Formats: sequence, C-alpha cells, structure tokens
Amino acid sequence: MQTPGTYISATGHIVLIGWLVLGWGFDTEPLKFDAMDVSVISGEEFEQMVAASTPEPGSAEPTAPALPVIDDTPPPPPVEEQPAETAPPPDPVDQPVEELPPPPPPAPLLTEATDEPPVAPTEPAAPPPSPNIDVNEPPAPTQADRIASSPSTPPPPDTQIDDVVREEVVPDETAPAEVVTEEVTPTAPEETAPEIAIEDETPSGLVETSLRPVVRPNRPAPPAEEPATPTQTAETPDVEPTTPANEPSDDAVAAALAAALAADAPSAPAVEAGPPMTGSERDSFRVSVNRCWNVDPGSVASRVTVEVGFELDRSGKVVGQPRLISAQGDQSAADTAFEAARRAILRCQSGGYQLPADKYDQWKDVVITFDPSGMRLR
Amino acid sequence: MRIRVNLTMRNEAKMMKRLLTLLVALMLAGPVTAQNGPLRLTITDGVIEPITFAAPMFQAENAEATQVANDLNRLVAQDLSGTGLFREIPANAFISQVSSFSQPVQFADWRAINAQALVIGAVAVNGGQLTVKFRLYDVFSGQELGGGLQFAGTTDGWRRMGHKVADAVYSRITGEGGYFDSRVVYVAESGPKDNRQMRLGIMDFDGANVQYLTDSSSIVLAPRFSPNGDRVLYTSYESGFPRINVLNVATVGRQQLQTAPGEMAFSPRFSRDGGSVIYSLSNGGNTDIFRSDLSSGQYVRLTSAPSIETAPSLSPDGSQIVFESDRSGTQQLYIMSANGGEARRISFGEGRYGTPVWSPRGDLVAFTKQNAGRFHIGVMRTDGSEERLLTASFLDEGPTWSPNGRVIMFSRETQGESGTTSLYSVDISGRNLKAVPVQGGASDPSWGPLQP
Repeated sequence: MQTPGTYISATGHIVLIGWLVLGWGFDTEPLKFDAMDVSVISGEEFEQMVAASTPEPGSAEPTAPALPVIDDTPPPPPVEEQPAETAPPPDPVDQPVEELPPPPPPAPLLTEATDEPPVAPTEPAAPPPSPNIDVNEPPAPTQADRIASSPSTPPPPDTQIDDVVREEVVPDETAPAEVVTEEVTPTAPEETAPEIAIEDETPSGLVETSLRPVVRPNRPAPPAEEPATPTQTAETPDVEPTTPANEPSDDAVAAALAAALAADAPSAPAVEAGPPMTGSERDSFRVSVNRCWNVDPGSVASRVTVEVGFELDRSGKVVGQPRLISAQGDQSAADTAFEAARRAILRCQSGGYQLPADKYDQWKDVVITFDPSGMRLR
Repeated sequence: MRIRVNLTMRNEAKMMKRLLTLLVALMLAGPVTAQNGPLRLTITDGVIEPITFAAPMFQAENAEATQVANDLNRLVAQDLSGTGLFREIPANAFISQVSSFSQPVQFADWRAINAQALVIGAVAVNGGQLTVKFRLYDVFSGQELGGGLQFAGTTDGWRRMGHKVADAVYSRITGEGGYFDSRVVYVAESGPKDNRQMRLGIMDFDGANVQYLTDSSSIVLAPRFSPNGDRVLYTSYESGFPRINVLNVATVGRQQLQTAPGEMAFSPRFSRDGGSVIYSLSNGGNTDIFRSDLSSGQYVRLTSAPSIETAPSLSPDGSQIVFESDRSGTQQLYIMSANGGEARRISFGEGRYGTPVWSPRGDLVAFTKQNAGRFHIGVMRTDGSEERLLTASFLDEGPTWSPNGRVIMFSRETQGESGTTSLYSVDISGRNLKAVPVQGGASDPSWGPLQP
C-alpha cells in the first residue's frame, strides 16, 4: 500500500483540503452581511428588562378599544386629478432649436450676379436660373442651340424665344423691340447649355466618354492688364481717387475701400473724370458686350484675338464705327474675327450702354480685347 | 447642427467679402493709372449661337420666275440654316418688306427684329435661262458685305444656283469657303446584312439628285473622289478579288489601277494633284503603304515595317501623310513625310484610332475611334492636341471632310441583323449632328470638291 501513488494522492489531497480550508480565509470577496451592535447582559438584568416591558395583569380594567369612526363618504380620488394636470404633453424637444434666429439668406454668388442680368419687373416670370452646375458632375447634357457660360433651362412652351430680353432691362421701356409684337408675349432667354453635347453619348448608362486630353498651350496668353496695375499705384500715389460720395451706394465694400484709398492719398485737385470706375461697373459693361459676342468654335476666326477700339457718346452709344487695332493669330481670319467683335459691340449697345455718366471721360474711348482661346473647346 | 452650418456659412461669407475686397481693390487701382488712356477691357467669354439672318422672298422680275424665285429663296435659307451656324428669322416677323432689289435697305427695321444679316435677291427667267442676283447686308453695321453678285444658268440646274448663292452668303459672313455646291459619292446599299446589294451612288451634299455609277452585280467599297471631282477611286470585287478601279464620273468609263505586285490593294486615295494614288497593299501577311503614278504605273514603297500600316491620307499641301499603324501594339495615328521616312505618333488617348483623314483646311485630322465598345468620330489637331469626339454610337466610321473643312460626313450603322447604314453629318464643333436624307442604305461617303 505504501506506493508512491499513495503519497502523491495523500499529498495532493492535503494540499487541496488545506487550500480549501485556508482559501476561505483568503477569499477577498466576503459575502454581504449586516453588522449589528450587541452588548452582553446578565440574567438578572434580563429579567428586570422583561418585567419592565410586560404589563401587570389585573392592575387595571381592560378597556374596550375605541370603535373606529366609520366614514361613509368615499375618499376623494386624487389619482384622477393627476393625469389632468399632466395632460398637456411636454413641448417637443426640438422646440428650443426653432426659437433660434432663422439662418440668414445665403449670400448671392458673384458669378450669378454678373452673368445674369436683372429681369425687368413687368415681365412674366422667367424660368428660374438653373442651379450652379458643378463642373465635375455635369447633368446629362442636352443639345442646345446656344452655348454660353451661364446655362439656362429650356424656356416654358408658351414663351417666345427672344434674344432681346436685355433690351427690356434698359430703363426706357419704349425700346423698338416692343413694337414688333403688339401685345406683350412672354419671352424668355433661349435654352442654353454650358457645353456642346454629343447626342446619344451614353445611351446604355455606361461611362463611355473619353476624357479630353490636356490642351497644350498653343500660344502665349495675351498679357493681362489688370494685375500689373497695383504695383504702379504704389509708385504713383499722387493720382487721387476722389471721394466716393456720388458713387452708387450698393457696392458698400467698394465705397469703403475707395474711402480708405482717398484717406491715404494726399489731397490733390479733383480730376474732372470723376471717381474711378468700380469693378462692378467695368464688369457689367463687359458682360453686356460678351452676351452678344458670338464665337464660332469651329472656325479659323476662333483662333484670332482681336483688339477693337471705339468711341462712345454721353448716352453710351457707339459713335461712328468700331475699328480694328490689332489682331493676333491666323491673319486670314482676322477680318471675320473683327466683324464678329464689331457685331457684338453694335448689337449690344441697343439704346446705349449703361455707364456712370459722371465718369464719361474714362469710358469715352474704349478698347476691348476679344480673346476666344477659352471658347474653342466648349 | 444647424447652428454650426450657419457659422460655416458666415465664415464663407466673411471669406468671400475679403476676396471681394481684394478684387475690388485691384479693379479700383486699375483705372487710376489708365485715366488718360482709353478704357481697356478683355472679353474671353462669348456665346456660341447661330447668327440670325433674314431672307425675304426674292423678287421675281417676270411672271415666269415666280415659282423658281420662291424655290431658290427656300433653298438658300435651308442651306444656311442646315449648317447650324445660322438661324432664319421667319417672314411673319418682318417689319418692312423688300419691294425692289435696288431700293435702299431700312436697317432699323431689321435691327429691331434682331436680324444680323439680310439677304435680298432677284430672279429672272428667259426661256430656259435663269438669272439670279443677290445682295448681302450686315445689318448692325449698316454695311453691305461684298458687292452684288449675279449667277446665270439653266432652270433645270436651279438647285445648283441656289447652292451657289448660299455658298457666297456663307463665305462672306464666316470668312471661309462654302460647301453647298458640292457632291458626295457613296455606296448605296439595299437588302439585309447577309445579302447586301451594293452600288456606287453620287448625290448633292443634301441628298438630292441621286445617280448611280455602277450596277449592283458585284461588291463595291470605299469610293474616293479625286481632288477636282472628275474621277472616283473605288475597290471592286468584279473579278472575284478586290481591285482598285478608277471611274470617270462624266462618262462612267472605268479602268483598273496598276498597283505594286501583292495580294490585295485597298484604301486608295488620290494625291492632291490627282496624278497618283496612295494606297495600302497586303502581301504575305504584312501591309504597307505605296504610291503609284496613274499614267506611268510606277510605284514607290513608302513604309516598310512588320506592322500593319494602312489608311493613308495626304495633307492639303501634299507634303505629309497621316496613316494608322499598330506598330505600338494598338491602332494609332502617325504622320510621316509624303515620301516615306520616320513617322511621328500623334494619337495618345485611350482606345484604338483608325481611318485618319486630313482636313482640307490643313489644321485638323478626323478619325474613327473605338473605345469601350463604342465608336466615335473625332477630330484632333495635327500635333495630336485638342482632341474632340464629335459623335458616339454603336458603329460610326468613314469620316470625310466637306470641301471647306468645316463639316464631317460619316456612315452610322445600327445594331442587329436588321440594322441599317445611313449617312450623317456633324459640324466640327460637335454640334448639328443630322442624318443626310438618302433613299435606302448608304455608307462610305466621300465628299467631293466645290463644283466650278
């Protein structure tokens, strides 16, 4: 019986039992219990205590317990009033959000302001301007007759396609265009697409167009005139931009800026030409001409940049004929390019360009550079 | 969330205002220095739209001319409007009517209806003789464009007279040559795809006056006009093998072209002087480009590469050849000297490029492109830049240029066993895609020159 197995077994059992026994002591997680204060008392004390708490029998007549007064009236049901008080449901949780001031109207984008002329108030509602089309995600392009930088939706079926909408913007509403149609028929700008679309381009819903390869610059860009000027301003601060007192106040930023410039500049005799033309004035002039500048992207003339000069009278009308100053590019098509530029200038004047009268000296002579290089790959 | 959105918007507005300020500062600073000079502006953003024109009814100078004057007027207007570059103002919008050819024009009346060009004409008929004269005015500058012009012809050829007037108007306004008085040779097809009858047809550019040059007894392919329009090259299977024939348009007489020895000669084109023909010749599984003199029959080998070189097309000055080759592994376009030599690759886009055709204007190359299971007709400049795909369909092929290099005609095949082939034209700006009205099926057009 004295085999090593017996020893191992005995040792194992002792260790196990010992661990079990001692383990209770090591148990770090005591069971939940309530401690209670106790005090040790003797037998006499106990009897005294019991005697004190036990009533003496026979020392007093037992009195009948008083009958409880039974009240027949039912107790008021307080429970029913509770829901009545809580009946109005609490206000929606988002109520405080609604009390916030409404978001301010989004600031109009600059491009919309310059590209879209204001519509005459007497006109029936023109189709709403299409939303800004993201260049990266163009909608399914449609084949439109007119391609321009500001796309417009197809006009409603009842309207008459009319190129001369801009003429009605001109203050004198008695423009000759009105004479054509006796009654005012609704007009709207023609449907315009931002780019030339290939018909039936993706009939099966697959992406089947190929990316247009990167265009190599074919000729150096014409020298930009605008960016060069700020440095010159610094060198010649004595030319005074006069106070913008009589400027249109709608361009508040421009006014503030002009004021700041005027404060910086030393006082000098006022120039007769009036205050310098603001950016918006130049922009609106430019937009009014480029609306009429019709570029044929497939022609040789679309590779010619022409510079055209002309004079304006005080009402903004062209005096005499525009003249070709210079032409860069394919000389064989310079005449055609000039004719297109001349048509743009003459067609869009319609009653005179809208220019600030007090700055006549500045826009008496105008030189416009027509650069079609960006139009060829529309 | 909403509050945060408002904040970002306000931030954007602030940024914008700052940008605006900067912009205005630049603009403001501009005229300060330029105060003594003229106001200078640069315009880069025009519009692309048809030029409006008015074509009041041509004056009939005698009673016989009434009908033909009406027809001519409609044809001129239709030719111009059909280019997509012009839009006619309907007669019911006119304020003043033109009662006499020599009467001064009331430009204000035409400006008011926004007509940019005005065409007035007069027609006289004396027996079979037809006389047409016209004047063209630039309405907004109040000037006449060019002088008055007069054409004389026969009443039978009134359509050509109308095309000539339209050509003159077109070229005076656009500064480029017209293309209305021109003809197209093509393969007229009938019957189903597995049993197609083919014959050579010739028609006006607008599908009128169709005539047939061959019968449909044998297969004919790929007709090509000579530079002056008197002859047509085409591939015929009359002898059972493809052979290049030269056909005289006026007499309909034909003769076989003497080519270099080889198994099969195809895709021929006339040289610019009409005296020789460039073509590709297949021999022993290799295809190269050759040139043969028409009168002497002597030939020159222009390429010698193990790859397939085909579809040669000469530049207008005759100094260079554009062709397709698979030497890089896929079909691409190459340009080499007209006498052979080193070739320069010009097409680098995705897909396969084939059948290049050099524009008569010299600035562009038209091609067929196959990419992602679809066919395109496209144009690129001769250095490969400014690639522009003009069409997309199941099968577009065989581009050919109008004489002024402005319009491309091609054949389009529809899918399926009952698919038909028809001719289409498209402006090189990608606009004005339209079918050419031809009776029956038609493919492989070749646009001839302006007729004298």
